[in-house]
Amino acid sequence: MKTRLLSAAAIAAFTLGATHAAWAQTVDYGSLEALFDEPVTTSATGSPQRSIDAPADMQIISADDIRRSGEITLPGILQRAAGIDVIDFSVGDSTVNIRGHNPSPGLLVLINGRQVYQDTFGTTTWPTLPVQLSEIRQIEVVKGPNAALFGFNAVSGVINIITYDPKYDAINAASVQVGDAAQRRASLVTTLKLGPAVSVRLSGGGSAEHEWRAIFPTSQSSPVVPAPAIGGLHDPTRGQANLDLVAQLTSKSDLRFESSWSNIQGNVAAPYSYSTVKMLTTSVRGIMTSDTRYGLIQASAYQNRLDIKGDAGSVFWENTVDVANVQDTFKAGTGNIFRISGDYRHNHLNTQPVAGGEISYNVWSASGMWNRRVTSQLALTAAIRVDDLQLHRSGTFPARIPLASNSYWDHDIVQPSVNVTGLWRPTAEDSFRLSYARGVQTPTLLEMGALQEAVELAPGVTLNVTGNPNLRPTIVVNYEAAYDRQFKQAKLGLRLFVQNWSDIIGDFSGGGGLVLPPTATTNLAVIPANVSNSEETGVELTASGRLLANLKWRADYTYSTVRDSLFGAADPVANLVAFQAITPKYRGNVGLGWARGPWEADANLHYVGAHKFYNVVNGALAPVDAYGSLSARIGYRLESGVVLALSGQNLLAERQAQTTGLKAERRWQFTMSRAW
Amino acid sequence: MKPSRAIVAGMSALAALFPGGLSADPAKNIQAAARVLTFLENPPAGRTEIGVVFDPAKPASVAEKNAIMIAIGGGYTTGGITIVGKPMEAGAVGGAKVLFVTHGVNYAAAGSDARAQRAITIGSDFACVQSGACVIAISTDPTVQIVVNHKAAAAVGASFRAAFRMMIQEI
Repeated sequence: MKTRLLSAAAIAAFTLGATHAAWAQTVDYGSLEALFDEPVTTSATGSPQRSIDAPADMQIISADDIRRSGEITLPGILQRAAGIDVIDFSVGDSTVNIRGHNPSPGLLVLINGRQVYQDTFGTTTWPTLPVQLSEIRQIEVVKGPNAALFGFNAVSGVINIITYDPKYDAINAASVQVGDAAQRRASLVTTLKLGPAVSVRLSGGGSAEHEWRAIFPTSQSSPVVPAPAIGGLHDPTRGQANLDLVAQLTSKSDLRFESSWSNIQGNVAAPYSYSTVKMLTTSVRGIMTSDTRYGLIQASAYQNRLDIKGDAGSVFWENTVDVANVQDTFKAGTGNIFRISGDYRHNHLNTQPVAGGEISYNVWSASGMWNRRVTSQLALTAAIRVDDLQLHRSGTFPARIPLASNSYWDHDIVQPSVNVTGLWRPTAEDSFRLSYARGVQTPTLLEMGALQEAVELAPGVTLNVTGNPNLRPTIVVNYEAAYDRQFKQAKLGLRLFVQNWSDIIGDFSGGGGLVLPPTATTNLAVIPANVSNSEETGVELTASGRLLANLKWRADYTYSTVRDSLFGAADPVANLVAFQAITPKYRGNVGLGWARGPWEADANLHYVGAHKFYNVVNGALAPVDAYGSLSARIGYRLESGVVLALSGQNLLAERQAQTTGLKAERRWQFTMSRAW
Repeated sequence: MKPSRAIVAGMSALAALFPGGLSADPAKNIQAAARVLTFLENPPAGRTEIGVVFDPAKPASVAEKNAIMIAIGGGYTTGGITIVGKPMEAGAVGGAKVLFVTHGVNYAAAGSDARAQRAITIGSDFACVQSGACVIAISTDPTVQIVVNHKAAAAVGASFRAAFRMMIQEI
């Protein structure tokens, strides 16, 4: 089936290109950026837009922002965006979400539109992302449910990482970095022209360093316990490679081929215990883009593979995701832009740690978007998407496990996602946006049965921890009002938002879940259940600008309150749905950047309010005091083009309790890089 | 302090902190105009002459013309084309395939002359494009705004790439 699907998509793509090649033209981000003097995006509607015109709350982090940040990880860069919550559990294990409810599934992460969010597990393992920071053109941060615009899984928001296009951008960069705690990093990005019509960008990198060494068991004031007491953590390592090839088939028709590989070892929190895992990812993707008389038509197909090995062979997950998409974006008349799209997705995972079963689903999706410029000042966008998820299970079951029939998995989940936005720009400086969004967080394959465990509680007494095929999806509804003001030397932004989660699925691996009593033929069992609703209300303020010709500044502040409503006697802590307690009421950033001649200096203070989190030892809620985290970089460009830079993170303390787990350590790096 | 005074004081402080508002910048406008030309379906290549149309009786028009000529200098290069400027008095335009119409010029007459020569007219006065005399209007402060008159473009045989069309306002 997979082979047939990929073949069909490729044939369709080539057919489109051959038929309408004379009209085709792909989007050159660089030229549009140069013209409009700001980053542009094609992600929301399929057509190029500046972020302020997008029918979504979008912030774009530019390549220059990334380079000058001095950050060494993607979550480190993302936490500088307004309203982004990042929890760093270890050097390589970070959870990221938009405006609280972290950790929870639903933040869709993409690289050039390819999903790198692992919907199988409802998370993103950031070190596996096969991208070097120097090859990123921009990162688009989109807040709130955006499934109707961005696709399946865009529930709490979207992080879309856009790399340079080898057709237009001849990016070549090399860097070597060393630092304390045995930090070693290297990366290489090079772009080659293979004849007049074929361009390719190759990139690769690797890193290694010591894991953070200390942990606190109950509170920040408690004695520090060495991390190994938690059990055999290993130092994180990471390697990735990526190929991005663009072939210009005709004067205006492009075929893009991408392939990637990553291999990491890291310590993950789950979320209140640590274990070391190894992950291997591979991907292959083809995209045909054709600008026809019927609009910008794009056909793409990709496959993601993910293998996860746990400590001492405890688990071995093998996950495959196949996705195919065809979409057409076209302008009708002078004021209407439409996009129609169809998707197919197949997601497959084996059961673990008790093998024998295979869980999968097919998702068929259709979506439509209408962007209407009503007047020169008013634009409306409406988008709807319908997903039909067809669940399936095959294989065997452990003895005496409940729900031991594959037929329980043979059913569909059909849900619509909606985005409606009105954008009013009464002046060139002012814009107001009102939006409504509905997103659907479908249960993960893990929750629907891929986790299949048998725990011997006592001789002859076995507890089965397994999935629930009858979980309801979590529905997320967002209302937002936004105002932006552009001054000559500054920008201001204000957001008011209310977001409701319905039917949140509780964790079932650490004491939560629905207990199924033992019967004459089945063991005692725990399965996940829908356990709560939650509502978040908040305000977000952003400001940025220049004070002097060489000095830029920015600041943001997000305040929100969360109210959880538990179903029946559900325990919010055991089910890991205590969002009211674990979501900080406020977080924000203050940043400064200065440049003169060959010198650059940048600093960012990230601050997070007091909150609680699940204790790493016993799971109870433990306090996490408010903290500020300073990162900085100073760089000097030599006449040869080589840049020498000193950067650091968590600079305010040697060890800082940012979670209830490993303490974040101050780290310094010295970097030598060159771009050509 | 009364609330109303506090509000006034706050607004004054805000205005001091964030000075400025709408203002025309001829240099930025002509650079944006050059970039817009690269998004034509059949863009000009190499050295391209732009006629800078001005009214000698209008000081603002003359000042804008002068600023544009200084900005272009010996030539401004972007995206494979190099524009060079040539001042042209309104009513005496000719020879250039692209005309930049400065403020204060009788744009109806300038547009008519341009159509006769199938020249693309660009201006920073949005009234010019709304009337159909100009093909393109450009404003760059505080952000870049581009409006294209669809009929005026068709009248001189100009068409733009789809990606560009989706980012601009067409009337």
